[in-house]
Amino acid sequence: MKRALTLCVVAYLALSCAHDGSNASSSTAPAWTLPPPPAPEGPVVPAGRLHRAALDNGMQILVLEDPRLPRVMLGIAFRRGESSLSPQDAGLASFMADLMERGAGDRDALAIAQATDRLGATLSVAASWDSLLAVTAGLSRDQDALLDLLADVVRRPRFDPAEASRVKSETLNALERARNDPGTLTSWYTAKAVYQGHRFGLPLSGTPETVARFDAARARDLHAKIALPNDAIFFASGDVQAAALIEQVSDRFGAWPQGTVFDLGAPPPAPAPAARRIVIVDRPEQVQARISLSHDGIARSSDDRIPVSLLNSVVGGSGFSSRLMETLRTSAGLTYSVGSDFALRRSPGPFVVSTFTVVPETRKVVDLVIAELENARTNPPAEDDLTWARTLAIGNFAMGLETSAAVLQSLVDLDIYGLPEDSLDTFRSRVRAVTPEDVARAAHEHLHPDRAAIVIVGPAKEIEPQLEGLGPVEVVTP
Amino acid sequence: MQAARRAAPILLGAWVALLASAAGALEDPAARTRITTLENGLTVLTLVDETTPVVSFQMWAHVGSRDETRYTGLAHLFEHMMFAGSKNIGPEEHARLINARGGELNAYTSNDVTVYFNDVTTESLPLVIDLEYERVANLNISEETLARERKVVLEERRLRTEDSPMGRAYESLFGLVWQALPYRWPVIGWRSDIEKATVDVSRAFFAQYYVPNNLVIAIAGAFDEEAALAQIQRTFGTLPRAPAVPRSPTVEPEQQGERRATVHFDLRAPILAAGWHAPATGNPDGEALDVLSTILSAGRSSRLYRSLVYDAQQALSAEGGYWELEEAGIFLAFASVRPDASIDRVEELFFAEIERAKRELPTADELDKAKRQLEVSLVDGLVTNHELADRIGRDYTTFGRIRPLEERLARIHAVTAEDVRRVAQTYLVKERRSVVRVVPAPAAPAEPAAEPDGGGA
Repeated sequence: MKRALTLCVVAYLALSCAHDGSNASSSTAPAWTLPPPPAPEGPVVPAGRLHRAALDNGMQILVLEDPRLPRVMLGIAFRRGESSLSPQDAGLASFMADLMERGAGDRDALAIAQATDRLGATLSVAASWDSLLAVTAGLSRDQDALLDLLADVVRRPRFDPAEASRVKSETLNALERARNDPGTLTSWYTAKAVYQGHRFGLPLSGTPETVARFDAARARDLHAKIALPNDAIFFASGDVQAAALIEQVSDRFGAWPQGTVFDLGAPPPAPAPAARRIVIVDRPEQVQARISLSHDGIARSSDDRIPVSLLNSVVGGSGFSSRLMETLRTSAGLTYSVGSDFALRRSPGPFVVSTFTVVPETRKVVDLVIAELENARTNPPAEDDLTWARTLAIGNFAMGLETSAAVLQSLVDLDIYGLPEDSLDTFRSRVRAVTPEDVARAAHEHLHPDRAAIVIVGPAKEIEPQLEGLGPVEVVTP
Repeated sequence: MQAARRAAPILLGAWVALLASAAGALEDPAARTRITTLENGLTVLTLVDETTPVVSFQMWAHVGSRDETRYTGLAHLFEHMMFAGSKNIGPEEHARLINARGGELNAYTSNDVTVYFNDVTTESLPLVIDLEYERVANLNISEETLARERKVVLEERRLRTEDSPMGRAYESLFGLVWQALPYRWPVIGWRSDIEKATVDVSRAFFAQYYVPNNLVIAIAGAFDEEAALAQIQRTFGTLPRAPAVPRSPTVEPEQQGERRATVHFDLRAPILAAGWHAPATGNPDGEALDVLSTILSAGRSSRLYRSLVYDAQQALSAEGGYWELEEAGIFLAFASVRPDASIDRVEELFFAEIERAKRELPTADELDKAKRQLEVSLVDGLVTNHELADRIGRDYTTFGRIRPLEERLARIHAVTAEDVRRVAQTYLVKERRSVVRVVPAPAAPAEPAAEPDGGGA
């Protein structure tokens, strides 16, 4: 660190000389007047810590050794999730995942819970759009027991009909509860407005109509299709010895027969929506309007991913520093928070801006968001904005290397999406290579405020009159 | 920038015997903390860990909503003002400079403390120190920025409380449990007070509480300790020491009988919330209360989950926990009632589990399981520099020292089944409990529904 500091002082002096040489009292000049020193550039993974292997049945193995603490995280990821299902089956992978935790091998639901809690461990099985993830974490001395638990849950779930009806009833009640939650309603209706008819248009965990059709047999059938060793990645990080662990994994999973990986199901959604549409979800009691603006975005594997990510940092993806935050919060005090995000999935997921404001200010906020997105197209980030976004991305990346669990999850993510193994190693140079032209093109191709779906959750009686001239409005009751 | 709902993570527990058997020689990283007190009373805690080039800088101001007089919500509103610019730094410029390097920063206000944190890569620590000093030394509180932050905070209040059934439940419950202590009002404050707080009031608050003898700086991670201390001495060291900070003299009188409240809200899954008076942080009964909460609530084998969620299928979630504040504590219980179930039945089952905890000793298996869960959560709390800085900052601000993990372990380890039953009997008394129900307004429009918090927008 001392060396880095010395370097930056020298750089600062040189810079000062180039201008007028004033204010060169280097050691006490406030640090914000100095050019930022470079972020650390060490390797993503310390040498010798990452181990890769594969079993004969095709199961991939990734182990990241990190002996600092006596903890271990063990998991298995399968490369299929909710996006492989038809809209009629929306939520089935989540339902199946829930049931996998509730009885496996010789243990019923309570015995699984007790085994986990006695170790002070965590166990979760969850479906996301593009994967099914089973993860357990606890103390490294319990590695064997945790591995047994994981193997049972992944390979031998019981799919007990009584548990299935319990999970179904819980899920239906949770969906019913969410019908009064403004945040959940906003995301449900946003997805629906953008991806009508496509799987992406329905909630990850399904709808009351789809969940009502689920039972143990359907979960068992889906498990037979998704939980295949030749479509799986075993991963572990923490205080583990890779060679011994790989042996143990081979013992528990080596004899697991391969199966046929099923087609990736739903085709990519069409660019949507075709024209601006506005949906008001009527909740008369709300004092605040929840607002989203959304349209189709990019796929995880898109070549535009890094330019789009830098663009998004400038527009709305960087917390307190984005243009949207400056416009809505810092200048006008219209909201507490605003953010934008490109959801990265195997097929293009949505771009969403979301915020909220007191009901009478709804129109003003919608107009400002649209104007800011238009501005990003006509006035895309120039070199100084981009320099800022690049150092943000590179510094953020360095911050993300603090825990081995996070690094490992990024590596698993690369495998799930079929991206190059060295993507983390090349990340910083790919960020540096992005030009203002790349970002301008990305803004042009991937921001479409003119045809975005606008969803507002709040009292329709007070909101609808504000929206005159904005586009066709539909009012729905949740 | 949020009003933290929970003052302190509850699950700091036990450790060393476990580690002796589990991991051989795992040392408590916090034991390496160096404590430096400047002449003006500022305490600096430095904990060097070179593993990854990341560092967490946290400034702990020993002031929270309990210190507010007349204007509730002032501590939190003031926290917002700390981002609104100073003599040499424009509004939100601090955030922009930290974000520009990939760092993260934020702050939160609780009943007892206000904490500002910057998590950055190592080379940015000098920038963080200069920026934090700049706002403490040269904060600019203007009519313009105050007017704006007031609006922002009112949006935050709408988000977290007015449109949130859980926010309403908390607000109502705290007002019932405490009738005297300054914990009785919400951290975010009442709408009227946020609207009326003035520049002069904010300046006086700043002058009284943001003084070196009321601040603790905690830094954990990979950094040059001598250079950081020298820079802090050169900057923060110039601030003048102030008179000792006054605290409220109030003591909560003993509650004489159960208190109940109903909050009407447009929701489908009603909420049952209950609270009992419990001891302040640092009390010898604290660990037994932690074990009790764990037995009741931690994991799918816990009693409340099994009874209310799994067996009876009446609740979507049910949990209880000991929440320790500096001047008092509370044992909280919450259940989310299933839309197809009855809140009366949930309450009956809920309090049956509380009565059972008072009547029967926990089994040896339950006791061991709870202790292990507390132990593992401790190990999990040692992973990031942010967590380490949080632990040392919180301990020093609250107790004036950093409690060694060995000590926490010994105390958790010493908890017996009899202790667990005894604390249940001592604190979970019906006459000293408060119960809040958040339910839909009755369908018949016989009378106009009252605004629950007397606000009205």
